Amino acid sequence: MSVLLDVQDLQTRFKVRQGYVYAVNGVSFRLEEGETLAVVGESGCGKSVTMLSLVRLLPPAASIESGQVLLKGADLLQLDQRQLREVRGGQIGMIFQDPMTSLNPFINIGAQMAEPLIYHRGMGKKQALARSAELLEMVGIPDGETRLREYPHQFSGGMRQRVMIAMAMACEPAVLIADEPTTALDVTIQAQIVELVKALRDRSGVAVVWITHDLSVVAGIADRVIVMYAGYVVEEASVDALFEDPRHPYTVGLLGALPSLDGDAHRLTTIGGSPPDLADQPTFCPFHPRCPYAIERCRTENPALEAVADATARGHRTACWVDIRELQSPVVSGS
Amino acid sequence: MTTQELSATSGIELAQASRSNLWQDALARLAANRLAVIGIIPIVLLFFVALFGPTLTPYDFLAQDFTARLDSPSREHWLGTDELGRDVFSRILYGARTAVSVGLVSTAISLVVGLIMGSLAGYLGGRVDILVVWLTDVTRSMPALLLAIVINLTLKVPLEAWMEQLYLETKNTFFRQTMWVDLVLVFGALALIQWPGYARLIRGQILSIRSRNYVLAARALGMPTSRILTRYVIPNAMGPLIVAVSAGLGGAMVLESAFSFLGVGVQLPIPSWGKMISDGLRMWQTHPHLLAGPAVMMAVITVSFAWLGDGLNDALNPRQWK
Ligand SMILES: Nc1ncnc2c1ncn2[C@@H]1O[C@H](COP(=O)(O)OP(=O)(O)O)[C@@H](O)[C@H]1O
Ligand code: SF4
Ligand SMILES: [Mg+2]
Repeated sequence: MSVLLDVQDLQTRFKVRQGYVYAVNGVSFRLEEGETLAVVGESGCGKSVTMLSLVRLLPPAASIESGQVLLKGADLLQLDQRQLREVRGGQIGMIFQDPMTSLNPFINIGAQMAEPLIYHRGMGKKQALARSAELLEMVGIPDGETRLREYPHQFSGGMRQRVMIAMAMACEPAVLIADEPTTALDVTIQAQIVELVKALRDRSGVAVVWITHDLSVVAGIADRVIVMYAGYVVEEASVDALFEDPRHPYTVGLLGALPSLDGDAHRLTTIGGSPPDLADQPTFCPFHPRCPYAIERCRTENPALEAVADATARGHRTACWVDIRELQSPVVSGS
Repeated sequence: MTTQELSATSGIELAQASRSNLWQDALARLAANRLAVIGIIPIVLLFFVALFGPTLTPYDFLAQDFTARLDSPSREHWLGTDELGRDVFSRILYGARTAVSVGLVSTAISLVVGLIMGSLAGYLGGRVDILVVWLTDVTRSMPALLLAIVINLTLKVPLEAWMEQLYLETKNTFFRQTMWVDLVLVFGALALIQWPGYARLIRGQILSIRSRNYVLAARALGMPTSRILTRYVIPNAMGPLIVAVSAGLGGAMVLESAFSFLGVGVQLPIPSWGKMISDGLRMWQTHPHLLAGPAVMMAVITVSFAWLGDGLNDALNPRQWK
């Protein structure tokens, strides 16, 4: 398998009144063709900003300070606006968290779906509408032709997310970035959306980046996982290695926050505290105020992402000074 | 079915037809709003009378009948006559013309200025934004009527002197008509009072729509800025703008009357409701009909615009289309 997307040392910060918010601090990851990569971390850890940085869809206050985003070898950060628009929607499709507000309320679904086809594929209007009807049926919305004439407010949240997926997949992109696409939906609908994306992926071979703050979805969909904290990648592993052999205390905490699968629904530990504010680039491990394993060194040096010792699978890396396997499971704060 | 066949069927026509459906929806919503419908009637009448007033009036607005001065309402003079024996009903109809033209022209001016300033502020941001916001704040902090009085007092004499000067130089009698100075001052004052509202509305619309998720989603699909502007930003900003213009038209007419009432309005033989109210007020105890006619008209029109504005607000708000 060859590397499709290669992100190197990406740094993005926001200019705010009091200085900067360092949202993404040297993130690197790779996505292979046909692979599904999950990105997990609590809210505010820089997942969305990382993904928006890839195609430079950031708000005006944000700037990308360094890094490379190589898509099939070409650096997206060097493209001009016109080339970038070709990539957006053409090479990289995106779906977002809130389907209720992601569609223009003033344009019917058909006209809305036809836009990217007309723009990227040079289709005529009729052809684009016919294709849109097919796309709707592809994402499980029957009677596509009729529904094209309806407006967003006539669709439920789950249906709107299906439309968003259809639009993102319309031009057969190489990469689909799904930024918490199920967070705003009911649990039953969530499962349907996950299944839909899996089916589309298996059929089209699109590589998927699936962002979530909920580890329970990850096992069912992803091949590999990166865990983000405070704008850093703190652990990277195959799904099996991450669940069976987590090496970063934050990952352990996230796994602990999962309801256990062995029927004991009450055993639900959470990580005490909340992610740090990102006003400074830390000279310490950003997790140390919440880390039950912290040692002195954690307060003075920020660990880099490095291969773990005795990895059970290839490509398992973590950013932590402590080999947590050597320690007794500590008392998790907040439980 | 092939792609061709699919598109040959109703797809396109219907997809386009339903775009007007959205406006039909809004219209149906408006029609279902009783107060808005009641409000529309006097407004339509007002515009009708403003257009065709001269052919409708029983008497010329200037025609004086010294045998029938200060008459109470009668069969000849439905709303009575004034001090000079002029027919009040005719003067009210002519007053509609003043109200409508002042409303339309001053709203058009302030809308254009507001659109330009608001778009500049919203798009360019930074110092331009700060400057525009500051300008609107300063203007809005001054009481509207005071502003109009100050403008009138400080500019009227120099403007008239300047016109006289131009007349002496060019011998063009156009510059003799001081009516133009009045109109420029009234329109200018109204535009000055009203542009900040439009500018702030448009600025706010641009800022808020630009950060909506559907704009992000459209950009993520590679849509160019021009498409996003015409298909996303402008249609979504239309509703609030239509509402504001409806309220602004009513507001401008009321303000013009207030100017006339205070003696800084259009000083013309052409009747203005505000002027009629202020004249009528002097003898409302002995001849209440002089006050009642124009005052009732003013009140009806004001309330009508308020109801219509409310109705439009509800009808054009897609969040309520459920
Ligand atoms: N417009 C903005 N201005 C300033 N800071 C922002 C802005 N957007 C996001 N951030 C900051 O960037 C960090 C990462 O945000 P985000 O990527 O949205 O987190 P996640 O997607 O992981 O929940 C957050 O700490 C947030 O405070
Ligand atoms: S480096 Fe230290 S503080 Fe950071 S996660 Fe590891 S043990 Fe915890
Ligand atoms: Mg996010």
